[in-house]
Amino acid sequence: MRFKFAWLVLMFAPMIIIAQELNLSGYARNYTGALLQSGGEYSIVQNTFNLNIEQSRGKVAFKANPYIYQYPGQEMEFALREAYMDMLFASIDVRIGKQQIIWGKADGVFITDIVSPKDLSEFLLRDFDEIRMGVTGVKFDYYKNDNTFELVWLPAFSPTIMPAEDGLWFPRLNLAAPATMNATQEVTASLENSEVFAKFSGIRSAIDFELMAGFAWDDDPTMHMTKHLDPQTMQLSSLTVNPEHHRLTLGGGSFSATVGPLVLRGEGAFYSGKYFNSADPKYSGAVVEKNYLHYLLGLDHTLWNWNLSGQFIQQAIMDYEDSIDQDAYENTLTFLARRDFLRETLTLELFSYVGLNNSDALIRPRLFYDLSDGFELQFGANIFTGDTGSFGQYDENDMVYAKVKYSF
Amino acid sequence: MKSIKINSLTMFLLFLSPALMLAQTTPTALEIIQNVYNRPTGEDQAGELTMTLINSRGDQRVREIKQYVKEFGKDEKKIMYFIAPADVRNTSFMNWSYDEAGRDDDQWIYLPALKKVKRISSDSKSDYFMGSDFTYDDLGDRHPTADTHKILRQENLDGEECYVVESIPKEKEYMYSRTVTWIIKDKWIGLKKEFYDEDEELLKTLTVKKFDKIKGYWIILHSRMHNVQKDHTTDMDLANLKVDIGIPDNEFTERMMKRGLR
Repeated sequence: MRFKFAWLVLMFAPMIIIAQELNLSGYARNYTGALLQSGGEYSIVQNTFNLNIEQSRGKVAFKANPYIYQYPGQEMEFALREAYMDMLFASIDVRIGKQQIIWGKADGVFITDIVSPKDLSEFLLRDFDEIRMGVTGVKFDYYKNDNTFELVWLPAFSPTIMPAEDGLWFPRLNLAAPATMNATQEVTASLENSEVFAKFSGIRSAIDFELMAGFAWDDDPTMHMTKHLDPQTMQLSSLTVNPEHHRLTLGGGSFSATVGPLVLRGEGAFYSGKYFNSADPKYSGAVVEKNYLHYLLGLDHTLWNWNLSGQFIQQAIMDYEDSIDQDAYENTLTFLARRDFLRETLTLELFSYVGLNNSDALIRPRLFYDLSDGFELQFGANIFTGDTGSFGQYDENDMVYAKVKYSF
Repeated sequence: MKSIKINSLTMFLLFLSPALMLAQTTPTALEIIQNVYNRPTGEDQAGELTMTLINSRGDQRVREIKQYVKEFGKDEKKIMYFIAPADVRNTSFMNWSYDEAGRDDDQWIYLPALKKVKRISSDSKSDYFMGSDFTYDDLGDRHPTADTHKILRQENLDGEECYVVESIPKEKEYMYSRTVTWIIKDKWIGLKKEFYDEDEELLKTLTVKKFDKIKGYWIILHSRMHNVQKDHTTDMDLANLKVDIGIPDNEFTERMMKRGLR
């Protein structure tokens, strides 16, 4: 059905475009990656067509962003990343429809940036515009000088897209016994189950800031577990896992300021109603609710024409109990170094996440070369180090890849 | 883009006797540079900027930008929307620059892929803008007090009577060891400028190819920067220029960076 719809759109697109004089942009891309272990087995062979269709008529505008992922030998994946309409007034903008909403000052880390859920089909390796999913909702922005008040209402909850269970990127669950994984309990679309977010932000000469609050659902499901004991030995024999989303209330903020030659960034959020897995038998479903703090400090600097950026991130569980699976404090560093050469036709980049608790890391060296304007070659590697942790769990997934991208 | 700054000293000079005025017909080097810095170019401007990057083999790459500039008192705000090449389309850049000597600009960039406005440091003024031969500093208004100026000579260039002024930066680590500028006497336009590198070797030459009087202001419409050491060139053309059109203050905000050209 999805396949037929894609062809229908492609067939009629030229006629629609001619009739309406739409603005078109986008890209075609081939992305091929191979694992360094497993004899060079391909980790991904993907062809992408991404189209931005836009039109503006004074006080109203619209955008649609259909995309196709095609994998050899598999069904084509066609979807809309965004499809929205804008109403633009003197000091108010209203956006209705499916849209990506990005908040916060952090790079590559999601703290206050929780309005748009993530597509983790390929862990964190996709480009960020592909990781962020569009959400259907209404966004109001009220502007006063350099201040913005934003209100977002999402009538239906959209969860994180998790990697396929039989794929390379499905997270290691570290279960104590063989488990039966049930389907994630869906959040019924209703007024009661809708999500609301608010943000007040401003830019000044000295500082940019955002203050936000949200009444949301946790995009990541909590793994409720039922233990089954062997009646003879009374030992744990199996588990039933029931993934379930919970309500989450959070408040936080972020800032970005220039301090001499440096840009200092910070972001933090307090989450109320976050669930964690616990080994304590007194907790039903092996989960416990705790308040949770997630924050970051970052610095950006340019040195010898290298753009350098570092971030320290901490996740802290309040009122911690030793039986909780996750550490009380989980610390992560990120590092970015990037430099352009040959009149910005060649770019070298190194981005890395380093997990301090598990001594694991994801190291991402990349080289970009513009063969011509709008025609980019990219060569890179994703190297996972360590044995455990968010990155170490993928130690067997080291890969090299090439991307060829034609933008129009 | 600087408006005329009339202060009490200027008013005093205006009322001086003609004889005294004649005695002071040759301004000092600093005054010449200040005249260039303060040359009025209108309260606001909107125009389309095209940069053509030409390498030593003659291959061309084109960057197209729509830009808006407005005076806010003695300060200036600028917003640029990138139109081409396709992979940077919808990127926007905002700069707030201040008349106060030594105060750094504030800069933000909006990257459509990230859907986020990022504050960036204006410290790296020696970076080249979009791969062109113009650095960020070349494109801005360098404050006259940042350099020590000296008149080398007066000569005719392309039919225009010019002061030739040498400027040596006070900052030791600056990217140029000195610059030499040919400034048209009655228009206060830098018609030609030579940039010398740290080894005192000629690095780049800027040549103004076309300027015009628009709504009473002298505006540079076409200039060429030639990197003589690497033999590549950037042509910069300003087209469809509109001056004093009353651009609203709220055009220079995060909202407009995100909205882009419509």
